[in-house]
Amino acid sequence: MTGAMPGVAPMGVPPGAFLVVATLLFAIGLAGVLLKRNALSIFLSIELMMNAVNLLFLTYARMHGDLSGQMIVFFVIAVAAAEAAVGLAIFVALFRTHRTLDVDKAALLKW
Amino acid sequence: MPAWSGELVVFGFASALALVFALLMVVVKTPVRSVLSLIATFFGLSVLAILLAAPFIAALQIFVYAGAILVLFLFVIMLLNLREEAAEKDDRPVQRTLGLLVALALGGLLAGATLRAPVPPRGVPTRASIPVPDEIPALGRLLFSDYLFAFEVLSLILLVAAVGALLLSKRRFE
Repeated sequence: MTGAMPGVAPMGVPPGAFLVVATLLFAIGLAGVLLKRNALSIFLSIELMMNAVNLLFLTYARMHGDLSGQMIVFFVIAVAAAEAAVGLAIFVALFRTHRTLDVDKAALLKW
Repeated sequence: MPAWSGELVVFGFASALALVFALLMVVVKTPVRSVLSLIATFFGLSVLAILLAAPFIAALQIFVYAGAILVLFLFVIMLLNLREEAAEKDDRPVQRTLGLLVALALGGLLAGATLRAPVPPRGVPTRASIPVPDEIPALGRLLFSDYLFAFEVLSLILLVAAVGALLLSKRRFE
């Protein structure tokens, strides 16, 4: 796997466009986190933010011609799966005790 | 390079799909619709991943995210039957506008920063260089050589998460 950078063919799309899409997705996810009241919707927005960052990693991996960025995305996706399992279990437990998923009503640890 | 290559068209379509459905995810009220919009967003994102020479990540995005994680979300939503909560009235206009402003400001800031950041120089070719026709074998070799320890730790994390999720959802908190 040596040689004259076999992988870095010129990109048909300027990389800046990918970066802008990723940042916009991140901002949309942040808006969701700030505006939503349902814990599940907030969690979904966090997933969107993680995917925006994944897109950023992939773009930089492509710009560098380096696979390490894709490797990081692989690990992020796997950890996101673990996080989703635990998070959703917490929501189920929360719903059992509070009969709600409204984050304003489950504010025991807030202050 | 022609100004309107096919790659550019695909990019425009995929990014529009991702952005529109991401916006829709935030706007719609019921969680089920949010999940479905997010799935559409992930399809757009996986097309973008293919454009970025990451077909394995693209497949992973569909299989793991759209196929497993979001289906898990759907299961939980339907298990909890959240319908009556969805109609709740939002009574906080100040927080709403403030949150929107903060998100807009951060989005603008980040977009400006990423666009202004210097383009990183092409690294020297290493073991991790992307060989375009067959990225996936290279990715596999990298995973089981340089990232082997992280990979094993990852499997442990998944196991612990599975056990923890089981424990959390089984026990009754009285």
